[in-house]
Amino acid sequence: MSPIMPAFPAHSGVLELAGAALAAGAVRGVLVPMRAPGGSRAWSLVTDPAMLDRADPLPPAMTVHGSRALASFARSPEGGTLLAILRPCEARAAVELARLGQIDLANVILMTMDCPGSVPLDTHRADREAAPDPADPSTLRSLCAQCQAFAGEGDLCATGPSGSLHALTAGGRAFLEKLGIEPADGPPPMERYAVLAAERGRRAAEDRILLRSEYGGLAGLVRLFSGCIGCRTCRTVCPICYCRLCFIDMKDRRTPAEELLARSGRNGAVRLPPDTLLFHVGRMAHMSLSCVSCGLCEDACPADIPVGRMMSMVSEGTTGLFGYRAGSAPGEPLPLNTFLKDELHEFED
Amino acid sequence: MSSKTDAAELPHGVVELSGALGQAARGLAVRLLAEGAVGAVFTLRRTAADRRYCAALISDPALLEEASPFHPVMPVQGARVLSGFLGTGSPDRRIAAFLRPCELRAFVENVKQHKGGFDDLLVISCRCAGVLPASRLADDDGERLLADYMREAASGGLPGGIRDACARCVDTIPTAGADMILSETVGPAERSTMLHLMTDRAVDAARLLSLRSTAGTSRGPVTTAGPEDPRRRNREALLASGPEPGRGLGSLVEAFASCIGCRACREACPLCHCILCDYETERTRWSPGLVRDLAESRGALRVPAGTIQFHLGRLVHISPVCVSCGQCSEVCPAGIPVSDLFARASAHVQASLRYVPGADPDGAPPLATYVERELEDLTD
Repeated sequence: MSPIMPAFPAHSGVLELAGAALAAGAVRGVLVPMRAPGGSRAWSLVTDPAMLDRADPLPPAMTVHGSRALASFARSPEGGTLLAILRPCEARAAVELARLGQIDLANVILMTMDCPGSVPLDTHRADREAAPDPADPSTLRSLCAQCQAFAGEGDLCATGPSGSLHALTAGGRAFLEKLGIEPADGPPPMERYAVLAAERGRRAAEDRILLRSEYGGLAGLVRLFSGCIGCRTCRTVCPICYCRLCFIDMKDRRTPAEELLARSGRNGAVRLPPDTLLFHVGRMAHMSLSCVSCGLCEDACPADIPVGRMMSMVSEGTTGLFGYRAGSAPGEPLPLNTFLKDELHEFED
Repeated sequence: MSSKTDAAELPHGVVELSGALGQAARGLAVRLLAEGAVGAVFTLRRTAADRRYCAALISDPALLEEASPFHPVMPVQGARVLSGFLGTGSPDRRIAAFLRPCELRAFVENVKQHKGGFDDLLVISCRCAGVLPASRLADDDGERLLADYMREAASGGLPGGIRDACARCVDTIPTAGADMILSETVGPAERSTMLHLMTDRAVDAARLLSLRSTAGTSRGPVTTAGPEDPRRRNREALLASGPEPGRGLGSLVEAFASCIGCRACREACPLCHCILCDYETERTRWSPGLVRDLAESRGALRVPAGTIQFHLGRLVHISPVCVSCGQCSEVCPAGIPVSDLFARASAHVQASLRYVPGADPDGAPPLATYVERELEDLTD
């Protein structure tokens, strides 16, 4: 029996819902990608239902993470209720950003659709309509080909071939009630995607064995990032990296020229700009617990470094330490913000 | 002490070095370091990743044997890296800095903004045939591309596959700030490279290395792209293209429709060196209220807001000093030809300000100078 694939998003149904919600005044705005000049897609905050005819939820390529688009204007809850139509990883990142004080989800309804994945940015640039095929990893970005969490997130989700609507939270249920819409009975039936999820999980596990053998240890990490040009694009596209002044750019943290010359003398040479590993390991330390494995970092990297796969692998390890899952338990604090007297004994001498 | 030269200035001496540009440059670097003329060398070197390069400060002559000065690639803009390095302190030894003409021009501008200085440098530049995009060089057919490049550069032609910015660059030689200029001889004969000694500092270094002006070598200046050079035609074509009057804003919106706001263009630019960019400050932040209100009044608003604000802002800040190196286009993940836009805007702005970036190390930055009668071409 061939595995059931996430269906292409049932656009018309979802956009109808969004339009009805705007018209009824149940929401003041809808966050959804729209078609832009030249065929690319750009996130838009839509208040006029007539504009929704240019909307394209879950477009073929994820160019900007939906949670970053949301965070850019939803730090405070003013302006009435908002409906955000997102991929599952975008909804998870929104929950993390709320934990990090960057989004106020009080008046936000996170709605997701089953995600077939995203084509790489290069593919999208060459062909604006090239579509991802969840059954064919060669059409997908590397992390999409490993993703097992492609359905059933947020306050409500449209799932399955018929796009049935499920309320996943009290907020989602209340929103649907306001519109007079009865959600489908019970939770979304995720078992229909079990075969695909298992295949993705196998691919992820194999990839991680490869990554560990190829790039494990300090020397391996140095080799992994040897082509890095320090452009910081991975950081800027990352939905979790929200600091406007990153630790690596702080004036007082920069390595002085004298120290760099001394390093050059000691080792025969020093790479410039310096501190490539410090940046990447620092970023890992700061965002790993909230990483949702969206893979934008890798897709945007101009030096073709598999940084997304590495971050995802590291995140599996760090979140595993705390039994934590990025995007779960909205409103609960981060593990690093929780003091437990009795934990992490495995790291004691 | 500045080393001011211009295109017409004659070198103090010319030495013939054997080998093509890269080889000759490497040999020169090894000797400068080994004989103590300099204490370190700033140049490109290979990394552990296949056909990927990085900038480095090299102190060991043995490691320098494997360095790649003037390899036809620019993973990072040399001025950005050098200014970053010199901005954090003063070196205690002389450093030989290999910089392509556009990197040197950008460095001259950065020095005016107190991001570095010439005192501790021996600047070695070249007659530049352009660079290949780093990802193309690292591709499967990178070796072939490189071989074609070397062949074309040796015959004085326009190599295929180089950056668009390079294919229309008419400033292929440095006009100020270089102590030494290397230029590969053009022609089918055995490869050699001329070393032009432009300053007393260069002459002293050459003397230390026992380098002698070769008898019979021309003491003429290094020349840039001639009137028939395809680079000139390409530049004219770029300046002639562009939006119609009045269509500027609309064309900007179209050009940046696929922008993902990654800021790679800013991070790559040698002249964008603010620690906290204007467009990351509270002053330019779009408040939630403003976004919601505008979305309300227009029916829809692109978010994150301020895409055009950022790019227009960068155009305003950088166009007086843009050196058209093309680093911005190369790093853009959305493939937007940022460098084309900047080149067109900069040509107009620099002509209005009568300013040539990198030409005069002792001059003041253009916007810092008050002149009572100026910019008359911009008034009605």
